[in-house]
Amino acid sequence: MLGSVTISLLGGFATTIKLFLLTLLFALPLGLLISFGTMNRFALLRGLVKTIVWAIRGTPLMLQIIAIYYGPGILWGGSLLPRFTAALVAFSINYACYFSEIFRGGIQSIPRGQYEAGLVLGMTRPQIFFRVTLLQVIKRVIPPMGNEFITLVKDTALARTIAVYEVLWMGEKYIKSAGLIWPLFYTAVFYLAFNGILTLLFGWFEKKMDYFRV
Amino acid sequence: MPVLEVNHINKSFGGTQVLKDISFSLERGQALAIIGSSGSGKTTLLRCLNFLETPDGGTISVNDEQIFDAANHAAVSDAEIRKKRLHFGMVFQSFNLFPQYTALENVMLANLLLAKKQPDFKKNKRAVLEKIEHQAMDLLEQMSLEGRMSHYPHQLSGGQQQRVAIARALALHPDILCFDEPTSALDPELTGEVLKVIRTLAEKHTTMVIVTHEMAFARDVADRIIFMDDGVIVEQGTPAEIFEHTQNDRTRAFLHRFSQNA
Amino acid sequence: MKKRFLSLLLAGAALTMTLTGCGGAGKDNGGAASGSGAGASGAASSGASADSDVAYVKDKGTLIVGITDFNPMDYQESGSDEWIGFDADMAKEFAKTLGVEAEFIEINWDNKIMELETKAIDAVWNGMTLTDEVKNSMNCSMPYCRNAQVVVVPKDKADQYKDADSLKDLSFAVESGSAGEKAAQAMNFNATSVQTQAAAVMEVSSGASDACVIDLLMAGAMVGEGTSYPDLTYTVNLNEANNEESEEYGVGFRKDSDLTDAFNSFYKDAFAAGKVTEIATTYGVQESLIDPQ
Repeated sequence: MLGSVTISLLGGFATTIKLFLLTLLFALPLGLLISFGTMNRFALLRGLVKTIVWAIRGTPLMLQIIAIYYGPGILWGGSLLPRFTAALVAFSINYACYFSEIFRGGIQSIPRGQYEAGLVLGMTRPQIFFRVTLLQVIKRVIPPMGNEFITLVKDTALARTIAVYEVLWMGEKYIKSAGLIWPLFYTAVFYLAFNGILTLLFGWFEKKMDYFRV
Repeated sequence: MPVLEVNHINKSFGGTQVLKDISFSLERGQALAIIGSSGSGKTTLLRCLNFLETPDGGTISVNDEQIFDAANHAAVSDAEIRKKRLHFGMVFQSFNLFPQYTALENVMLANLLLAKKQPDFKKNKRAVLEKIEHQAMDLLEQMSLEGRMSHYPHQLSGGQQQRVAIARALALHPDILCFDEPTSALDPELTGEVLKVIRTLAEKHTTMVIVTHEMAFARDVADRIIFMDDGVIVEQGTPAEIFEHTQNDRTRAFLHRFSQNA
Repeated sequence: MKKRFLSLLLAGAALTMTLTGCGGAGKDNGGAASGSGAGASGAASSGASADSDVAYVKDKGTLIVGITDFNPMDYQESGSDEWIGFDADMAKEFAKTLGVEAEFIEINWDNKIMELETKAIDAVWNGMTLTDEVKNSMNCSMPYCRNAQVVVVPKDKADQYKDADSLKDLSFAVESGSAGEKAAQAMNFNATSVQTQAAAVMEVSSGASDACVIDLLMAGAMVGEGTSYPDLTYTVNLNEANNEESEEYGVGFRKDSDLTDAFNSFYKDAFAAGKVTEIATTYGVQESLIDPQ
C-alpha cells in the first residue's frame, strides 16, 4: 500500500514541481518588468501598474485561479485554457506581482552613486542595470525570495481548485476513494523534502554571493 | 586656448537658485580648486560639468567645441550626452566603486563595454582585451596598488578604494578629471595617500577640477582657485592671490574660519 | 503586455460580479451555454451545433463526464486507469447510444456548475442528489436511483442508537452543503460540517465525532464488513425519521441542454431491456433503482 500510494503521490508531486518551476520561469522576468512599471517616471503608467499590483496582491490567489480558468467560459462562452495552463497563468501573474515589490525594494536600496558612477563612465542605462545594479539587487533579494519560493511550493496546492491533480489532490483522493487519511499527511514529506532542498540551495547561493558586500 | 570654458551657468532646484551666472575657464594642464562652505554650490557646479545635473542656462565648451547649450539641450540624444560626458572623468566623495568587481575589473569595465561596441571587436578580441588589461594594471601600479588588483572593494581601505576610483576615471583618458571632495569620506590618516596621488597627477600636468575642503592642499597643488559662496563665484585667481592678497570680505571670513578650525 | 494584464484583471472583476450576482440560481449562466450563437468562435466547433448540446457532443466525439472518486458510482480498481462503477458504466452505455466516447474527468465538486456552464464537462454524473439547488442550476435527468440519509456509528454502540431520540446528545459530522447536513439540521443535531462524506466517516472512525450522516448508497459501500471501515455500521434512516421522501439521484446537464431528453429516453429503453438492472447488480445497487415507467 505504501508503495502504491508513494507512486501515485510522486505522480502528483511531478505536477507540483512542474507548476513551481514554470511559475518561476515566467514570474521572475515578469516581476522585474512590473517593478520597472511601478518605478516608471510617467505617473499614468506607474499608477496603472501599481493598481494592477494592488488588485492582484489584494485578492485571493484561489479567486484568480477560478477567474482565469472559468472566466472566459462564463463571460463570453469562450473556450477554456487547459487546466494546468490556467493555473500556471494565475500563479505567474500573482507571483510576479509579489516579486515586483521585492525587486523594487532591492533596486531602490542600491545607492544612487552606483548609477551615477556608471553614467560618468559613459555606460548606457541598460549597461548600468545589467552590469552594475542587477547582481547587487540579486544579492539583496535572496532572503525575501527564499521565503517566496517556499511559499510558492505550498501555494501550488491551490491549483486543485480547478482540478489540477497535484500532490495534495492525490493525497486527498484516498480519503474519499479508500477512506485512508494517512496519504494526505504523507504529502507533507514531499513538501518538506523539496523545501529542504530549496533551503539548502538558497544557503549555497547566499554563500556564493558572499564574495562582495553591498 | 582654454581646454574648458564655462559661461553663464544657472541652476535651480525647486525655487532655490543654487548656481547664479557662473563663468570661468581652465587652461590645459592646470589644476583648478573650487573652495567654499557647504551649500555654496560647488558640488552642483561639478555635477553640471558631468551632466549629472542639467543647467537651466548657459554654455559649456571643451577644446573649443560647445558640448552644452541650455537653449537646445532637450534635442540632444542620450548617446550624444554619453559621448560628451567622456570629456570628463569623475571621482566621487564616496568612491562608488562597483562592489561585485575586483579593483582591476572596476578599472577595466568601462573600456571593455566601449570596446565591445566597436565593429571589429570580435576579430581583435584578444589583443583588445590584453591592451585594456595592461592599461588598467599600469594605472593601478601608478596608484601604488599593484598588490591589490584582485581585491574586492570591501577588502580595501577607504584610501585604497579612492585610488582605485581615480584609476577607473583615468582609464577613459578624460580631458578633464573632476574630484568631488575626494578625501571627505576618509579617516584623517588616509587622506594623505589620496592627496599624494592627486599631487602626482598635478605634477604630470593633468587637467583637473577639484572641489575640496583641504585648504593647505588647494593652496599647494592648484594653479587656480575659485571661491564660491551662495551660488556665485566670489573670487578667483592664483593661490597667492586668493590666500595672500584676498580681495573680498566673504573670502577673507571663510579663510579665517578655516584657519581657526584647522 | 500591460493591455493583456488589464483585460485579465477586468475579466477577474467581471467574473467576481457574475459569481456574486447570480448566486445559486444560475439564471445568467444559461447564456453561456446556449447563447454563443452568432459570434461564437472557439466554444462550438460549428454554427449549427450552437443550439443543440447533442450535436455539440456528437461533433467533438466525446461526452465529458465530470465525476469524483465515489465508490460504487465512479471509481478505479487499484492499478487500473479505467473508471468503473454504476454511474461510469451507465455513462459509457449512454455515450455509445450517441456514437461518442465517454471521457471521465475528476473535478472539484464545489465547482461542478461552473465546470458544466463553461463546457469544461458535458455532464455531472456522480451519484448526485437532486436537491432544489441542483435542479435550479442544472437541467437534470429523471431520477434513476433512490437514496436516503443514514446515521453511521461505531458497530459496538449500534444497539444504543436504534431510533432518532437516542441520537439527541451525540456530536455529528456532516458533509458541508450535503443532503446529510440538511437532514441533521432538521433533526436539530449538534453537527460539524466537514469537506466530504468520507471525511465525515473518518471523524467517526477517529472518535472526533460520535456519529455522522451520509448517503445510504455510500454507507453501503464504505462501512461494515469487507470495507475500509469494518468497525462502523449504519442505523437510523433520517428520511424516515423526518417523515420525508427519500432522495433521488439524477444526472446533471447544462441549462436548456437537449442531452437531458436524450438521457431520459436512453434510460427508459435500457431499463426495459434489462441493461440497467444488469449493471446495477454488478455494483450492488439494484435495490435502489427507480423504474422509469
